[in-house]
Amino acid sequence: MLSTLQSLDIFKDSYELRIAELKEEREKGIKVVGTFCLYVPDEIIFAAGADRIVLCGGRTDTIPVAEQSLPRNICPLIKSSFGAVVDACCGGNLACSHVPLVDVVVAEATCDGKKKMYEILHDYIPTYVLDLPQKPGSHEALNYFLSELRKFGKFMEDLTGNVVSNNALRREIRSANETKRLLHRLFELRRRDPPPIRGSEVLRVMQKQFFLSPDQFRQGISQLCDEMEHTTPDARTGPRIMISGCPMAAGNTKVPDIIEQKGGVIVVEESCTGTRSFWDLVDEDKDPWKALAERYLEIPCACMTPNDQRVARIVDLAKQYNVQGVVYYTLQFCHAYNIERLRVQRALKKEKIPLLAIESDYGDSDMEQIGIRVDAFLEMIA
Amino acid sequence: MITAGIDAGAATTKVLLLQDREIIGYRIAGTAFDFLTAARNMFDELLASCDIGREEVGKVYATGYGRNAISFADKSISEITAHAKGVLFLFPEVRGIIDVGGQDSKVIVVEDGRVADFLMNDKCAAGTGKFLEVTAKALEVTINDLGGLALASNHPADITSMCTVFAESEVISLRARGITKEDIAAGLITSIAQRVVVMAKRMGLKKRIAFVGGVAKNAGMIATLEKELGVTIYVPFEPQITGALGAAIAAQGEHVTPPIDS
Ligand code: SF4
Ligand code: SF4
Repeated sequence: MLSTLQSLDIFKDSYELRIAELKEEREKGIKVVGTFCLYVPDEIIFAAGADRIVLCGGRTDTIPVAEQSLPRNICPLIKSSFGAVVDACCGGNLACSHVPLVDVVVAEATCDGKKKMYEILHDYIPTYVLDLPQKPGSHEALNYFLSELRKFGKFMEDLTGNVVSNNALRREIRSANETKRLLHRLFELRRRDPPPIRGSEVLRVMQKQFFLSPDQFRQGISQLCDEMEHTTPDARTGPRIMISGCPMAAGNTKVPDIIEQKGGVIVVEESCTGTRSFWDLVDEDKDPWKALAERYLEIPCACMTPNDQRVARIVDLAKQYNVQGVVYYTLQFCHAYNIERLRVQRALKKEKIPLLAIESDYGDSDMEQIGIRVDAFLEMIA
Repeated sequence: MITAGIDAGAATTKVLLLQDREIIGYRIAGTAFDFLTAARNMFDELLASCDIGREEVGKVYATGYGRNAISFADKSISEITAHAKGVLFLFPEVRGIIDVGGQDSKVIVVEDGRVADFLMNDKCAAGTGKFLEVTAKALEVTINDLGGLALASNHPADITSMCTVFAESEVISLRARGITKEDIAAGLITSIAQRVVVMAKRMGLKKRIAFVGGVAKNAGMIATLEKELGVTIYVPFEPQITGALGAAIAAQGEHVTPPIDS
């Protein structure tokens, strides 16, 4: 068993602090934006002098609220997030402390479920939708996204009354890059064998990336890295595992917890709560808008087509981190990631890297069944 | 060394005693509601009937859904690993395993004497023994008679519902329309077989396929699977014991797994 790293407490204790900070900001007239997805650039929000907080939900208890309005067979992340907003807006008692802090939601046209959910969400809370080209590989797509980012910049200017200057953008790009570099440092340390930190611990940290202020987050990561550099972890309990797939929003740690409980050692996550959020940096020397557009369109999300870069990235990460198997994690009814599984599986098979597919929701009813598969998979790759 | 394997399944418990490479006895019975009690009683009975003292048993390994409840076992292994070991012991040439039990079904790919990949369905009764159990009841026959009835059919009825509950009402309406029991039985078996075949093809199973689990006792099911897959299927003399056998083999240590000819 790994001993728990002290620096993780920084993240655990940060919640109340951050909520208080946001409340204070709002009293001063600073606007707070709620976001759901990696495609919404933090840099533009901060350059406009606003703050942001992630609204992506991993909680189960808000799902029944959502199911009063939305179909049951859509992904639990969408239902949970929607339920949290609706409950908070209708004076419900589930007490999501994020939603009441938000002036507007900035959403994105990604998967069908979210896209259509946002239309309804708009009836509860002002929701701005950033459009995305779905085939990001061309100049036309890039130019279109660039125009969408500029429009979003204008929206933020109108909201805050501040100008989004090139200088402010450059400053925020450098700041966000600094966060990304720190996360690279953290993930670099995980390549060690045995790794100095549990995957479930990293996940809980990553779930706070877009919740905490960049300063708070960086401070925590940097202390964590310092501590990790000086710990001597115990021997591994089982095979090195990579998780790849859907985001695991705060509140959802079911599958990594099961994997670790069964002895698997998670060393990297290819997901929005993993490498996808920080792997690529924004070019600091280019025109800041163009640099942002290029970087954000590179996010290897399954909503995009074709998505060869994601498949290549997964194979590459699997090798870099020397994993013995990949757990492909999907949320139930997430068509994009569920369908893309086959291409990932085929690419990994060529490299003789085994894959276990787990499709699950936020409930606990399938924990035993997942455990059986994980046990068998770990025995298979041991 | 004498070892024991205990397969604590959701519906049935199986216990088996192995002496080196020889099966000395086994037992199969319903699990009822308590994995541990069922396993302990059957283990004691088996020891008594084989005239073996508990202290003569070197190691006990458990497998199956309730394996972690078997507190007197030395170790537990997953049912995927256990079935693969058990089947390879009986048929070293096998490359793929289809297991249809009371509550779940699984397909296992074997390469170089080890599990290379697997697929499980345990979320839904369709494609499991439960489907046959429920629908056989609607047909007012026992699950054991279903296979024989099916073999006598020339025109299997078309069962379109994947869902066990809907299939049950479909059986009732087919009977109301005067379709024979034979044709309905054959339709039911075709329906579950197709479900399992999709899993097998998904896993790329082509030949040298073994069929195990409670449903593998059903002659109609074997015939339908052979037809759908276009190959002859290996079925052990007692298709329900491969999990317990695999656990007992694992308890012997790795050396008893027979060498694989490729
Ligand atoms: S998976 Fe895609 S749509 Fe979902 S949060 Fe990540 S980038 Fe956005
Ligand atoms: S997990 Fe899939 S279905 Fe759910 S919001 Fe993300 S892309 Fe959409």
